Amino acid sequence: MTPDGAPLAPPFVLPEELRIDGAVARRVIAEFIRRQLAQAGFDRAVLGLSGGIDSALVAYLTAEAIGADRLLCVLMPYRTSSPASVEDAEEVVRRLGCARDLVEITGMVDAYFGDHAGPGAAGEEARDATALRRGNLMARMRMAVLYDRSVTWGGLVVGTSNKTEALIGYTTLFGDSACAFAPIGDLYKSQVRQLAAEIGVPDAILRKAPSADLWPGQTDEAEAGFTYPELDRLLQAMIDRRRTREELVAVGFAPETIARVERLVAASEFKRQVPPVAKLGPRTTGVDYLYPRRRPGSARR
Amino acid sequence: MQPLRIAVAQIAPRLGLVEENLARHHDLLAEARGRDAGLVVFPELGLTGYLLQDLAAEVAMRADDPRLHELAAAAGDTTVVVSFVEESTDHRLFIAAALLEDGGVRHVHRKLYLPTYGLFDERRFYAAGDTLRASPSRMGVGVGLSVCEDFWHLSVPALLALDGAQILVNVSASPGRDLASIHETGLGTAVSWRQLLRTYAQLTTSFVVFCNRVGVDETISFWGGSEVIAPTGEALLSAPLYDEGLFTVDVELGDIRRERIALPLLRDERPELTMREIDRIVAERAGLATDTTAEPDTPAGPGTPAVAGRAAARRRDGLGARRPA
Repeated sequence: MTPDGAPLAPPFVLPEELRIDGAVARRVIAEFIRRQLAQAGFDRAVLGLSGGIDSALVAYLTAEAIGADRLLCVLMPYRTSSPASVEDAEEVVRRLGCARDLVEITGMVDAYFGDHAGPGAAGEEARDATALRRGNLMARMRMAVLYDRSVTWGGLVVGTSNKTEALIGYTTLFGDSACAFAPIGDLYKSQVRQLAAEIGVPDAILRKAPSADLWPGQTDEAEAGFTYPELDRLLQAMIDRRRTREELVAVGFAPETIARVERLVAASEFKRQVPPVAKLGPRTTGVDYLYPRRRPGSARR
Repeated sequence: MQPLRIAVAQIAPRLGLVEENLARHHDLLAEARGRDAGLVVFPELGLTGYLLQDLAAEVAMRADDPRLHELAAAAGDTTVVVSFVEESTDHRLFIAAALLEDGGVRHVHRKLYLPTYGLFDERRFYAAGDTLRASPSRMGVGVGLSVCEDFWHLSVPALLALDGAQILVNVSASPGRDLASIHETGLGTAVSWRQLLRTYAQLTTSFVVFCNRVGVDETISFWGGSEVIAPTGEALLSAPLYDEGLFTVDVELGDIRRERIALPLLRDERPELTMREIDRIVAERAGLATDTTAEPDTPAGPGTPAVAGRAAARRRDGLGARRPA
């Protein structure tokens, strides 16, 4: 409720066809997390907490699955990161009572691209690097930090990518997409929001505009040109419900939006798959040598 | 008649760890016997785990494997259904379910339908079984074994019932999917299965015992929800979704007779009619006879009657014309 007693506007739009049974989802995801860790011989987990909704939800789900005392959240701001993001992340840590680590990546990133003091390892040219190059490097530096903390904390890196961004390729290869397993990788952004609200992620996080926070003022929806509810409905119809382009148009999706999303999905197929190995020998990994990722003997102890 | 106590072992097998799974089977079998169960059912590939891929060959066992006989020996006067990867003498691998009774393997059912679509890839790793038989049992009624996808083919429960099965046992490793909140149980897969089980029990006027595993193999989570359905279609036991456990229920086998007298569907079955029509359909599909209900563009078999040609032409102008090329 607002101070004058009026009900607050709902923090997000959840298209009805995307609504899931949150209790079942939490049950499945908790067991998934426990099994992934157990099969690898781990009982701890580490993740990068940005202050956004995806990593906040994964932190809550992981704490629910294995207990907050076994979770390390790493905050990795760059100097241009929004201070509100760090505050929101700290609030998640406070509420969960999990371990927390702050690693500023400014030095790592500026050492490569350079800063006002002079060029970095990448030379003079890189001082004018595009926001895209900088954003990708930031994501990969964070990946490097998480995998280092994975060793010191003795935990597996939990992925925080959702289905929407994976499908349209709104992710940095070997950056934010790098992880040991992905608990919310089959949930659309709208479903992430539903689950986050149900599990108790702070309201400030539910309400803010989703952003990769790679440069000031960046928001996903402005960058992509469509809203998440719209995009999620389209992706679900295209991918999960196998609707044809004609059928999509018939239910009201704009042909140009459909075409654009189809291009994004097709162009990012490579980001969702293991790189192909040139087939030469009699048995090739991923081709005709097919084992479960975790099998007898694969746990570290 | 003494009620029959049925125990459903809704377990989470460990992938590829046969010895561990065997020990779990022995433990639960002992527990079920301690609770006076007359029939104990374990899920599909309970001894090996489901998503084995190339591990299948490494965990496979022969139907005369001493480990199965040890389980059978431990069962005493209890009837047990277990499932494993069976390797035949000619080295084909099957997903098998075995009926263990009186210290031995009484019957082995090899999975007939291997789903190879969507998230399934069974045909790549396994051979499909070729026979379907009901088996007599020490419980005094015939038992019909089937494995998971077998139950998505109508002929399986129908043939088992005609062959004398009065308890249809389906062992499953069904991956849960579709969490859309419109579903009564929060899970699309569970809704579909529940419909099937009730329908089969009612139409075959038999007990249906469904044992589905729980736990996680790689990306997929198995949803449990094992059930025992009476010949009336009434659910006598509905185990919880996702919880591991040994669930028991007492059933009156006399209900089979009561239901079959009151609702003599099996008496009225027409297997000879079914067979005639199946023979015709098989011949038509093989091109050995004229297909009277063919798709418009199917080449006509020898001696196509003119009337069939006209019917096909009409279809071409109608529904067929709307189909995109």
